[in-house]
Amino acid sequence: MAQPGGAQPAGIVLVSHSATLAAGVRELVAEVAGADVVVAVAGGTGDGRLGTSDELIRAAITAADRGGGVVVLADLGSAVLTARTVLDDLERADVVLVDAPFVEGAVAATVLAGTGAPLAEVVAAAQEARHVAKF
Amino acid sequence: MSPNSEQPGTGPVQIPVVLAAHLHARPAGQVVRTAAGFSATVEISFGGKVAGARSVLGLLALGATAGGTVVVSAIGTDAVAAAGAVAAVLTAAE
Repeated sequence: MAQPGGAQPAGIVLVSHSATLAAGVRELVAEVAGADVVVAVAGGTGDGRLGTSDELIRAAITAADRGGGVVVLADLGSAVLTARTVLDDLERADVVLVDAPFVEGAVAATVLAGTGAPLAEVVAAAQEARHVAKF
Repeated sequence: MSPNSEQPGTGPVQIPVVLAAHLHARPAGQVVRTAAGFSATVEISFGGKVAGARSVLGLLALGATAGGTVVVSAIGTDAVAAAGAVAAVLTAAE
């Protein structure tokens, strides 16, 4: 869906202790992502174990960044810590780690990004995921 | 009945839709994307629950199943067009 003025959609980065989990969430959100939304993953360590990697996170941010900002979702614990460290080093206001449940935040953010919504709305959608009841 | 019946197209309008498939992630995403193209406020109700058409998680939480009837309601500037577009998405969803 084209944005007025040609603005790019926000990108999504998924940070998880598990490469499998991150890939699975990416597969899930592919159902709801528009064609233009890049969903990049940083799952596990660089050598394929459970854990986190600042290098993988940085690479994912680069891959997801199309000029429309990036929303980062992380599962828990050190994924959050490592993501925060990376973002602190990056010092970019348009790359935002959202405190939201991993799967639900990713789905909400990806759908909004697919509508061409600006970064602030994508962030808000992910944040809302903290409060929406499932049933 | 309508609080704003002077402007055509502003609703409030309600369109029932019988779902051919469960309201799962893909159609929920399509509803959000469709509603985002209009300025009207659009809601979907099912089984006594209501979700805003811009909240994919809220739509999924409706648990709307195949064969069930949802009601698309809209109010605002382009409400009639918005409700029609969302209803069309839900009708076609599989």
